[in-house]
Amino acid sequence: MSVTPGVAAPARPRLRVVIAEDAVLLREGLRRVLTDAGLDVAGVAGDAVDLVSLVAALHPDVVLADIRMPPSQTTEGLQAALEIRRRWPGTAVIVLSQHVETEHLFELLAGDPRGIGYVLKERVADIAQFTDAIWRVSAGESVIDPQVVSRLVARPRRDSPLQTLTERELAVLALMAEGRSNHAIAAQLYMSPKTVETHVGNLFAKLGLLPAAEDHRRVLAVLTYLRS
Amino acid sequence: MGRWLRAALIAGATAAVGCFVWSSWLPDSQYVPTEISFAVVALSFMVAGIAAWQRWPASRLGLLFTIVGYLYLVPYILVNLANPVAWTIGNAGEGIYTVALAHLGLAWPTGRLRSRFERGVIVADYVQNIAFNTAATMFWNPAFSGCDARCPANVLLVRSSRPAWNAINTVEGPIGLVITGIVLTLIVRHWRSARGWSRRAMIPLLWIGPAVGAEVVLTGSLFKFSGQVTYALLPLVLLAGPALFVISTVRARTAGGALGTAIVDLEPGASPGLLRDALARALGDSTLQLAFRQPGGAGHLDTSGQVVDADRPDSGRAVMPVAGSDGAVLVYDEGLELEPQLVKLTAAAAGMALEHARLQAEVQDQLEQVRASRSRIVEAGDAERRRLERDLHDGAQQRLVTLSLALGMARDRAAGADPELEALITSAGKEAREALTELRELARGIHPAVLTETGLTGAVQALVERSPVAATITAVPDERFPAAIEATAYFVVSEALANVAKHAMADGAQVAIYRRLGRLVVEVSDDGAGGARAEFGSGLRGLADRVASVGGVLRVDSPPGGGTRLEADIPCP
Repeated sequence: MSVTPGVAAPARPRLRVVIAEDAVLLREGLRRVLTDAGLDVAGVAGDAVDLVSLVAALHPDVVLADIRMPPSQTTEGLQAALEIRRRWPGTAVIVLSQHVETEHLFELLAGDPRGIGYVLKERVADIAQFTDAIWRVSAGESVIDPQVVSRLVARPRRDSPLQTLTERELAVLALMAEGRSNHAIAAQLYMSPKTVETHVGNLFAKLGLLPAAEDHRRVLAVLTYLRS
Repeated sequence: MGRWLRAALIAGATAAVGCFVWSSWLPDSQYVPTEISFAVVALSFMVAGIAAWQRWPASRLGLLFTIVGYLYLVPYILVNLANPVAWTIGNAGEGIYTVALAHLGLAWPTGRLRSRFERGVIVADYVQNIAFNTAATMFWNPAFSGCDARCPANVLLVRSSRPAWNAINTVEGPIGLVITGIVLTLIVRHWRSARGWSRRAMIPLLWIGPAVGAEVVLTGSLFKFSGQVTYALLPLVLLAGPALFVISTVRARTAGGALGTAIVDLEPGASPGLLRDALARALGDSTLQLAFRQPGGAGHLDTSGQVVDADRPDSGRAVMPVAGSDGAVLVYDEGLELEPQLVKLTAAAAGMALEHARLQAEVQDQLEQVRASRSRIVEAGDAERRRLERDLHDGAQQRLVTLSLALGMARDRAAGADPELEALITSAGKEAREALTELRELARGIHPAVLTETGLTGAVQALVERSPVAATITAVPDERFPAAIEATAYFVVSEALANVAKHAMADGAQVAIYRRLGRLVVEVSDDGAGGARAEFGSGLRGLADRVASVGGVLRVDSPPGGGTRLEADIPCP
């Protein structure tokens, strides 16, 4: 996995991040880890209402929000994320989930998938990878948790064009679903960008999908295909 | 009325008829048809008497019928005996049976006269009849009837005078008419005041009355034309009365059977009002009341809401407690005292019907309680599962995530400085992640948070996505249902897909959830081997119980080799 060296890149502007997480220990841990990684943690919130008012006041670049927060412990974080995206469309949002379920993911992507992340909470343990995800959404990419994608790819199917895909093509497809650009896919799979483009063209033809130039449209198209 | 008296009367009647035939049977008699008619009419009243005894043992009606028969026949026997005294008594007693008929009509149906006045009227009728007949006999020479030498002597004969005889008869006519008028008026009043069973019991009298009336009128008007025809045919008009009574009695015998039919026809759980109607029909008493004791000693109320005093019934009414019920009573027409057996049967039938209804209500009530408690248990279980899942999420899962984060930080610190330590921490972090994954699956199995959060749409999608067998959704309603229904539908799909993966040897499965006529139908079908049965496998049975807890039914259609189709049909307003 290619790691964007956030700490070691002083040329970049410091990202301003707001964290919403009701578990105090985890919230403080995240604040510390992200600060250590060179991000500017502008504010932290313990629930969705605080989160929205923090965003309104601070206009951060990225918001990290736990899906389940007080008071009802269901989908407050998700609703807050949707509201933030509606009111401040430029704000990138990563939703932290304990579930591999795709229902929330699609609710989140339904508007504009640019700058949206859906990541399993335990990803925070891999600090470098997690920081990378924050940088990616801030750059307008989509970040979909590999575990969510791999389950969609691995679903048993009958009479599906997916069964005609080669192993390489499947790997490319999975990385596309995770929101990776051709460039990143090439780097990760040790291929040339040209080869990646060929694979993408082939598998789109096999699946009967229209080739999409922009990565974020591609993410949605591929995920929708995998889910149906 | 005693058995012995009855037997004696029957024996007497048989002897009387035999006697009559013997006394009047002349080989060359021109009166043979007349005599046969007399014998038949007299016999018919005696048979009616027996029938009345059978039908209403407590009534004197049987005795009265028999007396009419005797009074009809005996004077003729006496006249035919060719004995002066017998002839004289017979001649004087001729026609007294009409008074007995009036007596019978007025005493209907109990055989007892209702008041002192009525008794006076009947006594007066007997007295005037005997007095005038006796007086007329004093002037009647037997030779007037053309019997010549064989004529018996009239022991009362004062003077042989047709004009005197005619004069006495002319005086008797209006007096007899007045008394008959009074009797008829009284009978009409009885009819008009009778209700329910008593009125029905008077119906046979409606037939006997006109028969007697016709006989009386015809006797008066036809006598002059042809004695022969009149004497032969008129008694047969009279015959209609007893004959109709006997027919009505035979028909009334089926009343006991009607009671059985009424109870059998009664719908299970029929209201007390319907029970009363059925009993009233069977009993032939439209005034029947079925009254229930009001709680708190507030007396009885009948099925139409009327207050009933079960201890002191209104006049003309009688009360019978309904055995086995809680103080219910039948209040019926007093006339029915003549049919105590029928009333007892009716009360017993009412008791059984009420007991049945009570037991049914009790069973229904218990069933309702069991159903309610079952759904409470299931709901409590669901709530407990939700709580457990939330505890896991807020507790262990959060702590493990925090632990992972701390381990991540520790590893970054150790990186480069102590490779051994770094490797150790990396492996610890991996363990923590494994634990998180396991815990997540565990929590999802206990209660899927996505069900609470997004309803069936997201939860069923999640099930289909993780199904080991290719599964597709053909329909899921995009609305929220009560938690118990959503959980049930979810577990049906979950268990069904698990079964498909385990047993069905199927390539694919289909899930459809849709509304149908106030019900939510959950359908999971596969193209596998089939042959699954709900009775086997605790999974399916548990699922059937689960579906039943929300009042639904689970059907399994699984022909060998034809795939399996599981359908849960859940009531859903």
